[in-house]
Amino acid sequence: MKDSGALKVTARSDREIVMTRVFEAPRNLVFDAYTKPELLKRWLGVFGGYSMPVCEVDLRVGGTYRFVWRGPDGAEMGVRGVYREVVRPERLVHTEKFDEAWYPGESLITTVLAEQGGKTTLTVTMRYESREARDAVLKSPMESGVAQSYDKLAELLAAGGAEKARR
Amino acid sequence: MTELSAPFDISQPAISKHLKVLERAGLISRGRDAQRRPRRLEARPLAEANGWLESYRRYWEGNFGRLDAVLEELKGQKKRGRSKR
Repeated sequence: MKDSGALKVTARSDREIVMTRVFEAPRNLVFDAYTKPELLKRWLGVFGGYSMPVCEVDLRVGGTYRFVWRGPDGAEMGVRGVYREVVRPERLVHTEKFDEAWYPGESLITTVLAEQGGKTTLTVTMRYESREARDAVLKSPMESGVAQSYDKLAELLAAGGAEKARR
Repeated sequence: MTELSAPFDISQPAISKHLKVLERAGLISRGRDAQRRPRRLEARPLAEANGWLESYRRYWEGNFGRLDAVLEELKGQKKRGRSKR
């Protein structure tokens, strides 16, 4: 997999997706940005005309969160969950369930922040109830450009072009 | 098989085993001519697997790019706060 930027995304085991990303900031700031509504509203899912008019966080074990995004056409998308572990500034475990389920069941999201030399490595593990749920999350309109470039690669290999090019 | 194993520092039986796994997964197929058994890369399933991760990753790249900007601002505030004290 290509690693453009510092973000890595991998589908691990049958039911998990793991993401890692390095930030040029100490982890207490990253933790704040992940848990304070006024900061969350500025980065999470807010693009293409979408804003997050509802962002409520009750940051304690057993506490809930509620996010609602609103699109330019007024369409809304909401998600809620419960915090299972809150260890500031290094670890956060919460559940996730969308109002209009676009994947079956509930997922469990573990966020780990490791700091070294003023930089923070974020590791997010998203665990779904089934492989089908995980795949539904990953599946989105196929990037035709990617498919086309692979088709070209296949043609090239079939024609023996790659072999010749290596020589 | 000889051609395929040439660039790798592993035995031909090992290469053969890897090829069988890829073939079973539908990622390569096997052709046939007089002497050779040329393998062909089946690009479509690879592209599909990558396509999923790709668009998902792009969504998070956007999020994290905005988060970078928020963090820069917080770092600036922290510094200013400190110099005031």
